[in-house]
Parts: sequence; structure tokens; C-alpha cells
Amino acid sequence: MPIHNLGYRPWKEKLTRPSARWRYISASGIRLAQKSPWVKRVVFAAWLPVLYWGMGFFIIGQAMEGKVKLSDGRNRAPVNVVVDEFQKQLQKANPSFIPAANRRVVAMALRKQFRKIPKVEQVAAALESGDAMVARNRVWCWLLMTFLRYPQGILILFLIGTIAPALITRDIRSKAFLLYFSRPIGKLDYLLGKFFIPATFIMLVTTLPAMALYLFGILMSPDLSVFWSTWDVPLRILVGSVFLILPTVSLALMFSSLTQETRFASFGWFAFFTLGHGAWMAIAFSTAMRKGYSHSQDLASVMEEPEVKRWGILSLYNNIGDVQSWVFGFSSWQEVLPGMMVLLAITIGSLLVMYRQISSPLRV
Amino acid sequence: MQPLISLKNIVKNYKHHRALDGIDLEIKPGITGLLGPNGAGKSTLIKMILGLVRLTSGSGTVLGHRLYKDARKIRNDIGYMPEDDCYIPGMSGVEVVQFAACLSGLPQVEAMRRSHEILDFCDMKQERYRAIETFSTGMRQKVKFAAAIVHDPKFLILDEPTSGLDPEERESLLKRIELLYRDSNKSVLISTHILPDVQAICDSVVILSQGKVRLHRPLSELNATSEPTIEVLLREDTDAFIKQLAANGLSHQLGASGRMTISGSAHKQDATDADSDTSADADTGSPVGSLTDLVWRSALDAGVTVESLRPAKNSLEAIFMDTVQEAARADS
Repeated sequence: MPIHNLGYRPWKEKLTRPSARWRYISASGIRLAQKSPWVKRVVFAAWLPVLYWGMGFFIIGQAMEGKVKLSDGRNRAPVNVVVDEFQKQLQKANPSFIPAANRRVVAMALRKQFRKIPKVEQVAAALESGDAMVARNRVWCWLLMTFLRYPQGILILFLIGTIAPALITRDIRSKAFLLYFSRPIGKLDYLLGKFFIPATFIMLVTTLPAMALYLFGILMSPDLSVFWSTWDVPLRILVGSVFLILPTVSLALMFSSLTQETRFASFGWFAFFTLGHGAWMAIAFSTAMRKGYSHSQDLASVMEEPEVKRWGILSLYNNIGDVQSWVFGFSSWQEVLPGMMVLLAITIGSLLVMYRQISSPLRV
Repeated sequence: MQPLISLKNIVKNYKHHRALDGIDLEIKPGITGLLGPNGAGKSTLIKMILGLVRLTSGSGTVLGHRLYKDARKIRNDIGYMPEDDCYIPGMSGVEVVQFAACLSGLPQVEAMRRSHEILDFCDMKQERYRAIETFSTGMRQKVKFAAAIVHDPKFLILDEPTSGLDPEERESLLKRIELLYRDSNKSVLISTHILPDVQAICDSVVILSQGKVRLHRPLSELNATSEPTIEVLLREDTDAFIKQLAANGLSHQLGASGRMTISGSAHKQDATDADSDTSADADTGSPVGSLTDLVWRSALDAGVTVESLRPAKNSLEAIFMDTVQEAARADS
């Protein structure tokens, strides 16, 4: 008998609330997931773009204040000469024109250098509109939207693909279902607990860095008025993250609930993501070729063609991007309604399938 | 005595198969063995008690809570040890027990402390820190048992608790179960195919077959033989002893490992307490006691040494086989 053996003693302390149980499922799942070196690598990689976007916040902010001069990237010297001359003339005419002139320069630079990025035209137009508050809000929203859409949108494909497929397959394979469901927890607790494991990692690489960028922007601002012009940005980040998390995590967990083999669930996730997007890109390229678009023309323009746009619902990635552009105020809800419906259908369908699947091992 | 489980006309159908067919059962506090051939409905009955499967019809209570409707309350009070390996890969043994404790509502830190305490009770040493997928079957059984009792449940349901254990570990686990009942008043339902386990620790036995309860009686009643019978093991040759037995009007049967079952047809009376001590019986002059006297006398006259002598019990295996075969005949 071990020297520590106190025998069996009763335990009559106060139990935690039932609502805490799913949080414990999440917490232990997160602890297990973070042991994976691949998860660590993806999370590390996902924070690297923050540096680039941080520089974007800094440079555009400084340029709007006239402290940094932007160029169109091709004819640097002539543009700077023109800008310098323009500013000198403005200084003489009316000093209050200078901020507006600076914003026009930023608009011009964005148009030139980021012409392939969606919604840049709207940002440039806002910069040229004359309202500094609106312009800053639009620029920040655009930066954060592109941050969530491009580097993070692609990285979460790998992050979810690394974490989510094993979450339910592992429980089916090792028959851990009985460990959960012989306890006072329900299917909803289990589902919530599992859902928040990948959701937490996604928030770690999307919501958190986006919030950090926003805070960085606020801290680098010349005065507090910036906060009043951008107060809605954190809310937009949160809502944008929700639209990113709900369909992706539900879908990945659904694949996980359909099989005992993690590799099949991973394959399902990557196949759904890439095949849908690939099909849409194929339609876009064939349209570009048929309509005689040249290589120098923007892919973004092709994507705006009605016959290409119509098929955008095939791509989960595109649907999320579309809805996020609405969240950040660059599209109307009518424009993104089909995409939103697809995301809603994916989310509800996946949750229903998962809800049914997680109880099926108990029925036999 | 308030029954722990009270089931009335429980029916459970799976598509084209009836798993439970009108179960009426009352299980009282104590250690109850749940026996039955494969496919008899034992697992379905356990899942139904835990509220994991919905009833087709019928009603019942478990620890005073309504079946299925109060599933969470029932699971709060029950510790369940499943038959299958059931673990979360990547967790250590102690983490699995802690996880189970937290799911049952223990605060995280307290759950860890309690897990260590219970693993000590289960005689699990430093291997508790190893990843559970590296555990042997015996160690996994210990972890499953620890996970079942960590939250101090009132009632334990153990599904094949001793399967895969070596004899020593099996003995220890059975002792732990008995200890939990005796010292901590935990009632236990053991579903098993290992009949000696039931014989060793159970108070009553339920035999299920083809979804119906075929037998539910206290083990002492089942063990009681129809006439006084004694099991004897001799040290020397048995021929002289057998002659003496015959001379004293006793019949005998040679069993496995040299054991001899002796019954006395002259003493056909009710043997209500076959478990009682033989020496006490001899003193009080009960039928078994009289038979014991006769056997001692026969041994003395034959000049043989008796190594052991104890009242014989009905074989649970024979009872089980009879019950199941009778059920099959009745259903056909």
C-alpha cells in the first residue's frame, strides 16, 4: 500500500455550476491541442503578418499627417517633386488645406499600389471626400478587413485543419463518448466545449491581433479624436471574427464527427475549402480568357463580372470575405446576401449533422 | 428498504430489434450482479439507467429520479465504469481522472487533489503520469475505476470491471468494491461474464436473457442446496474414506482438483443458511452441522486427514446455464 494511501474518503463539497462543464471540456481540449508543434508553428506564423499590417497602420497614419511621403511605387522622384510643390502652394494659399491634400496623396498611392485589392477604390474615395474622421475610419476598416481576409483567412485554413479534425474522431475512436456522457453533461455542453477549442485558436490569430492593431493605431494617433472616429472598429472586428469562426469551425467539426479517422476528416475539410474555391477560380479564369482580359488587368475586375460573382457562393473563402466586407462597411447587405445565406446554411447544417452524429455511438 | 432502481415494464426497441422486453426490476442497496449472455440487453439496460438511450415505453426511477427525464441528476449520483477502453489520447492517467472529476462538477484544483487520492486508493503509483495510451489493460481498468468513483457517487455501475486483470489485481479490485460497499455504503451493479466475481462479492443476482429478466434473487438463496452438502478436500488417498461415507449412508461426488462433494440424503431439510459457519452449525445441531459430524467421524474412522471442509454451494454457472437455456426454450 502506498504511503499516501488515505483509503476512500467521501467528498461532499459544493459542485461547480453545470454551465462550467463545457468550459472545462474546452480548456482541456485547448491544453491538448497546444501540445502539437504544428499548432504552435501555425500560431506563430499567424502573428507575423501583424508586423506588416502594423507598418501599414503606421505609414498611412503618418502620411495622412504629412509626416511621411508616399509614392506610387514606380515614378518615385517625379511624384515626390509634384507633391512637395503642391504642398508648398497649398501652404501659401491656405494652411487648412494641407491635411486634405495629404489624404489625397494617400488615396493616390493606395490606388496605385493596391489596385488589385478589393474595395481600395472606396477607401481612396473616402480619403478624397474631405472628412478626416470618415477617411480614417475607412482606412482602418479596410486594413483590418484585408488583414482578416488574406493572411489570417488562409492561415486559419491550416489552423483549423490541424486542430479540429481530431477533436471528435478521437473521441469516437477511443470511445471517450462514454467518459463524457456518463457524467452530468449533455450533447449541447459537449458540442459547445468542442466548438470553442478551434474557435479560441482562431480568435487567438484573428481577433486578438486585429484588436492589437487597432490599439496600436489608437496609441500612435496624434489625439483622442481618433478614438471617436473609430469606436466602431472593435465591434466590426468581433462581428467579422464571428462570421469567420461559425461556419468554418462548424464545418470542420462536422467532418470530424462523421468518421473515426482523423485523416479523413482533415481531407474533408481541406477538400471542401480548396475544391469550392478552386471551382470558383476556374470559372473566373475561364471568364477572363473568354472576355479577353489581359494579364495586366486586375483579377479583382474579373471577380466583379456578374457571371463570376454569381458563382462566388461555391467558395467558402469568398463567402466569408464577402460577408466581412459588409461587416466592415464596404458592401451592402443585399450584395452579400447569397454568401451570408450559404454561410448560414453551412453552419446550421453542420451543427445539425454534428448534433446527430455525436449521439449515434450511444444508440448502439 | 427504498429500492435504488425501480423499473416498470421497460421496453426498448432498436429499429427491428427489441433490446429490452418488458423489464420489471427492483434493485435494492447492496452489490448486485447483472448477468446474461451476449446480446441479452445488459448494456442497453445500463445505458437506459444512465439516461443515454430513450425508452420506447415503460417508466422507472433511479435513486429516486425519473428515468431519462432526470438523466443529469441520475448521472450526478452514479459512477459508471464502461467495459470499453475509454480515454482521451494525450492525457496522462491522472489527467483523465481529473477530467472525469471536473465533468462531474468538482472544481479543477480539488479535482486534481481528489484524483491523486483516488489513484492512491486504486494502488496506482508513478505510472499515473504516463500518457494513457501507453497503459496496459490492467492500468486502464484502474484508471476507469478511479474515474468512476472520483466524484463520490452514491451508486456504482461497473461493466466488466475485472476483465483483462491478472488474478492478483482482480482480487484487489473486488476487495476495493467490497470495501466501498461495506465502509462507504456505495451500492454497486456489476455487469460481468466472470461468474466467480459475482459469487465472490454480490448480494443478489439478476440474469437477463433476450431482453427479459429471467431471474432476480439474493445470492444466498441461489447458493442454498436442496439438501445439506459439504465440500471436502483430503490430504491422503480417498478410497478408505469413500467406504466409510457409504457405510454412514452418505453419497459423494468427486470434483475438480480432488474436491469431494458429500451430501446426506438422510438429512433432507431446509438449509436456509448455507453460508453460515460450519463449526457453528455443528454446535447448533443444524442439518449441515449433523452432516459435518458424520463426515468428521468418517474421516476419523478411515484414518485420513481433512485439509478443508466447507458447506457446498450451488454452482452459479449451472444456475446461469439453466436459466438461459430455459429462457431460450420458453421463447422458442
